Amino acid sequence: MKFDEKSAVERSKKDLAERLGVPESEISVKRVASTEFPDMSLGAPEDGEMAAQMIATGWKIGLASKGKEYEYRADKYQLRLKDFKGRNHVIVY
Amino acid sequence: MNRNNFLIHFAIALVLITIAGVLGQIDRWRSGLRPATSETRDLARNNSGEAKQFRADAEPEVLVRFKSGVSRSEIERLARRFNDRIEDRIEYVRGLKSIDDLDNADPETVAAQYRAMADLVDYAHPNYKIEADLPDFRPVAERRDEAPVNSPNDPYFNDQWALFNSGENGGKSRADIDAQKAWEQTKGSEEVVVAVLDTGVDYTHPDLVANMWTRPDNVPQYTDAQLGAFNDRFGFNAQSNLADPMDDNGHGTHCAGVIGAEGDNDLGITGVNWNVQIMPLKFLGRGGFGTTKDAIEAINYAIDRKQNGVNVRIISASWGSTQYSKALEDAIRAAGENGILFIAAAGNSSTNNDSRPHYPSNYDLPNVISVAALDRNDSLSSFSNYGAKTVHVAAPGRDIVSTWLKESFREASGTSMATPHVSGIAALMIAADPEITVETLRKRLLAATDKIDSLNGKVVSGGRINAAKALAK
Repeated sequence: MKFDEKSAVERSKKDLAERLGVPESEISVKRVASTEFPDMSLGAPEDGEMAAQMIATGWKIGLASKGKEYEYRADKYQLRLKDFKGRNHVIVY
Repeated sequence: MNRNNFLIHFAIALVLITIAGVLGQIDRWRSGLRPATSETRDLARNNSGEAKQFRADAEPEVLVRFKSGVSRSEIERLARRFNDRIEDRIEYVRGLKSIDDLDNADPETVAAQYRAMADLVDYAHPNYKIEADLPDFRPVAERRDEAPVNSPNDPYFNDQWALFNSGENGGKSRADIDAQKAWEQTKGSEEVVVAVLDTGVDYTHPDLVANMWTRPDNVPQYTDAQLGAFNDRFGFNAQSNLADPMDDNGHGTHCAGVIGAEGDNDLGITGVNWNVQIMPLKFLGRGGFGTTKDAIEAINYAIDRKQNGVNVRIISASWGSTQYSKALEDAIRAAGENGILFIAAAGNSSTNNDSRPHYPSNYDLPNVISVAALDRNDSLSSFSNYGAKTVHVAAPGRDIVSTWLKESFREASGTSMATPHVSGIAALMIAADPEITVETLRKRLLAATDKIDSLNGKVVSGGRINAAKALAK
């Protein structure tokens, strides 16, 4: 799968809705920003994961549900959820 | 309206819609058949990568985003008033239109007209030319004229500020690794094998192919205790347990080019080594990340090859994380015990590795060197990790041009790019002194620096690596 900003946001919303067990309509997009990440894990490695130390460009996606905010990170080829219940998650790769 | 009348009206409407659609398509075909402008031809010639979007004569002049609630008829009325044509709407951004000015006025002027309608328009700007991801290199002949005497003939050499920094592009003159002076001693040796532990390497890249390692016929195939024998002709792929270490990301190919793109071959760049053997060890996947276990498997492979007579002397490791692994540490220690230097990226989090360790660069082992990244002004790159006790040396790591997938070249930044410069210098040292031990190699490398005030308290050596000093007798 190859992401652009829009599809990354859509996939993030879908993932968060499934995780929280709420309809997608209850997920709001707080912010989407193009950014540089420090490495190819987008600065959100899973446990035990090693990442190439090259600056990578992508998007930070801030979502909210029931007053709580969540951060997804994406580039063209991957989507990650940062620090969800204390851990980073690769959603799509 | 009775039923028959309704059907007649419906049929007429359908025919009109179809005609409109066909006419619209014909217009698009005609647009597509317009000859390429000189601008589009230049882009196609200069960049082998993707030119995502560019402005040409046939393109709309401005992009205008209208405020929510502004109707289509209002937009059309405004466009008519300015003698403009609404060229297209951008489906995924509500209210955004591309607009073609029929008077061929300056795009900035057209955009300003729309911006002045602040009650209707959110923003308006010219349809900017967006360059391809690849750097737009100047013509070869012009570049060679600028190159210093005895430069290699590789056309992008002048963009390799890390090797020779002329002070162009806002850089600081001679803030480089002094490669040219080093090349007076040696340009490398095909007897030296450098393992690039990474996303693989595109071993068919025309600027790398001559310097790629292939398993000699007298070295047996690699055999894994569980997985059996591999035909490791071109290296090793721990990520998918296949023998083919072809790069599907680009990162490893970039690092390999810095170490050993063929020099003076009238193509692309030159590596720190003009001659060397690059052994691809793939453990990072297409996304540029991978597991500790696969890294260990690949290191194990390198040790095995060493024990089977392959002269693997260096593992270049442009990757890492903050997670400590005793098993990975042990694998790297074993590499050292087998005469392999392990050169690792310090990390890109702008943090102090003394207090927030980054691995594998932080393993306190006698065969590990940790590398920070410098920019073309000899300043520590803003992203680079540092550490007065744990990061050993700095090397160029920002805006580094090197080999990439699909026979291309591109710039990249990171301690990933700094690391192979040090690996390359280590390979030159081995070429000049084939019997040098890991201990001596590491000691001489860390002493071969140009002191930089801003690195005091940031890296152990307090300096930028210097290839000429590393080779000095």
